[in-house]
Amino acid sequence: MRQLVVLVVALLLGSSGPARAAEPGVTDTEILLGGSNSFSGPLAFTGTQLTKAGVDLYFRVLNDAGGVHGRKIRTIYYDDGYRPQDAVANTKKLVEQDGIFAVIAPQGSPPVVATLDYLEQSRVPMLFPFQSSTATRGRKYVFSGLVLSDRQSRMMIDYLAGPRKLKRFAALYQDDEYGKSFLAAFETDLGRHGLKLTATEPVKRGVTDVSAQIAKLQAAKPEVTFLVLTPGPAAQALKERQKIGWTDTLIVSTGPLTDETYLGLAGDASEGVEGLATLPDPLRSDQPGVKLYREQLQKYLPKNEPNRYSLSGYLAGMLFAEGAKRAGRALTRDGLVAALETVKGWDTGIMPPITIGADHDTQKQGFWVRVENGRFKPLSDWLKSEP
Amino acid sequence: MRRAGWTLAAAAVLGWPFVAPTYFVFLGTLVAVNAVVAIGLNLLSGYTNQLSFGHAGFLAIGAYAAAILTLWAPALPVPLTLLAAGLVTALVGLALGIPCLRLDGLYLAMATLAFGFVVTEAITNLDGLTRGNDGLRVPLARLGPWVLDTDRARYYLALAVAAAMILAALNVAATRTGRAFLAIRTSEIAAQASGINAAAYKTVAFVLSAFYTGVAGGLFAFVVGFLSPDAFDVFLSVDFLVMIILGGLGSVWGSVAGAAIVTVLNDSLAGFQTYRPLIFGAIMIACMLFVPGGLAAMTRRQS
Repeated sequence: MRQLVVLVVALLLGSSGPARAAEPGVTDTEILLGGSNSFSGPLAFTGTQLTKAGVDLYFRVLNDAGGVHGRKIRTIYYDDGYRPQDAVANTKKLVEQDGIFAVIAPQGSPPVVATLDYLEQSRVPMLFPFQSSTATRGRKYVFSGLVLSDRQSRMMIDYLAGPRKLKRFAALYQDDEYGKSFLAAFETDLGRHGLKLTATEPVKRGVTDVSAQIAKLQAAKPEVTFLVLTPGPAAQALKERQKIGWTDTLIVSTGPLTDETYLGLAGDASEGVEGLATLPDPLRSDQPGVKLYREQLQKYLPKNEPNRYSLSGYLAGMLFAEGAKRAGRALTRDGLVAALETVKGWDTGIMPPITIGADHDTQKQGFWVRVENGRFKPLSDWLKSEP
Repeated sequence: MRRAGWTLAAAAVLGWPFVAPTYFVFLGTLVAVNAVVAIGLNLLSGYTNQLSFGHAGFLAIGAYAAAILTLWAPALPVPLTLLAAGLVTALVGLALGIPCLRLDGLYLAMATLAFGFVVTEAITNLDGLTRGNDGLRVPLARLGPWVLDTDRARYYLALAVAAAMILAALNVAATRTGRAFLAIRTSEIAAQASGINAAAYKTVAFVLSAFYTGVAGGLFAFVVGFLSPDAFDVFLSVDFLVMIILGGLGSVWGSVAGAAIVTVLNDSLAGFQTYRPLIFGAIMIACMLFVPGGLAAMTRRQS
């Protein structure tokens, strides 16, 4: 109904759409951002936390403090339920109908990849997508939101083959872009240390029984077994390993997997598992930025528990605000891209200083954790992924 | 009077891309694609009374067939690609229809439901061909030297295909085949007693329905530009059923109206996020209660 009204108004105005300022989504008093995300479907919790309790939390704080150069930031989100075709439709609507300035924090590789070409052609920035495949790299208007798989692999291998001096590696991986991009990166990075993967076993997405793969991997006797999976099958793999009593291997999970959902699902089978964490512990970290995040969450959304998705969205909001601030009062899309590229050694108070280079990677570091008594215990300082 | 109405409707549909903002042109294209699926499903479920929960599977087969064919033969004109997509899907429909239509009511519904899951699993596992869960980027459609790279061009393509499919469906409905479908719906036993080979006609309906959905799948691939098995879940099949129930079982124009309403509704509700399924469901229940025969029945009652 609302759309019909918009349509009629648009027609009356001579089919040119509502009268707009020079740059879409920017008026004298407001910046409009938007995104297609999962509010239903398998990633609904992540999507809601990322946007409502993350990005929007930071913007509420910012708006109450006066906004950016006198402009308040407003957001619109549409639900795609992790379906690429809905993400395409939603993104077109946001750009063409709502006239957003930029896309913020969309989620999941298939929906994000489906909208990449369209956004790049329309010269609309896609800011900080919550996914780790390298498909988003090398585009003028895209800035990544998670540590991409090749950087994660570099940190993991350099740490395990370096200070930990481990030699025999195997991987249980999801048989798709996510899994394969990690596998290729592992091979490259192990190659630099004169090593290679001893055994690899694929898991199709949606499969929950991984007993055959676990048995085969055990036979290869690796010192380290990487899990490149989603929380469900990963928890299943841990339980299976516990069941068959396979103890002489170190299980290591990748960044997207190292989160509380996975711990909850695996129960005590996750004890001793190690992995790469890309954000500090949202509940316990005493970093000033994380403390501030907890206070603000408590103030604006008291019923919402702190979690890493919400923290990640909060960080995305912060990074956008910094870019908009640097771009100045005459905000344009190209101006924002140029401004984000000037971010060097910028301190968020949450993690090590952020530097954005030509590859538009905003997240480049992680630290090593081990599960002890159902919690992630940090084992290393922040690791570096630069060559 | 009636003629004037049709002329006005035709002018509105043809002139749409010149007056509407681009997003609504895209939405109009989706309506045309869904209308073709709805007509196809209505031939099976509405006319012949065979319930299918697997049409998202047929749509997926058509979409992937068109996309893969375009990757292999980029110069092929798009009408041929769509025709091929329809034929491939019709073949699958034939293979499925022969055993499945020995089943009745609930059992057929279960079989088609399972078919939908089998198709998405097959797409996931045939990753050499379909790129599995990573998704397949669909190249632009071509018509000779003309590349369909704008929303407007794709709108007219979808519109032309939908118009042809509507005409064909109206014609089928008026032939012996169409009357046989309706006879089977009313009573399969009475139809058989009148000399109609029910099994054969049900198979024809199944194949025809699959063909329609396959062609729509081809259009879907070019319109959306990116395919992944996540796109074709069971909820999509349910959406198609809702379109024909809302529009009117056994009515071609009802299918078109139902497709338009569900597509636009789905789109407008995207902004309500977590409440979307709730609102959508409530609207559907209200429709079932107050307009049980669908829009087609409502207009019949008035006229």
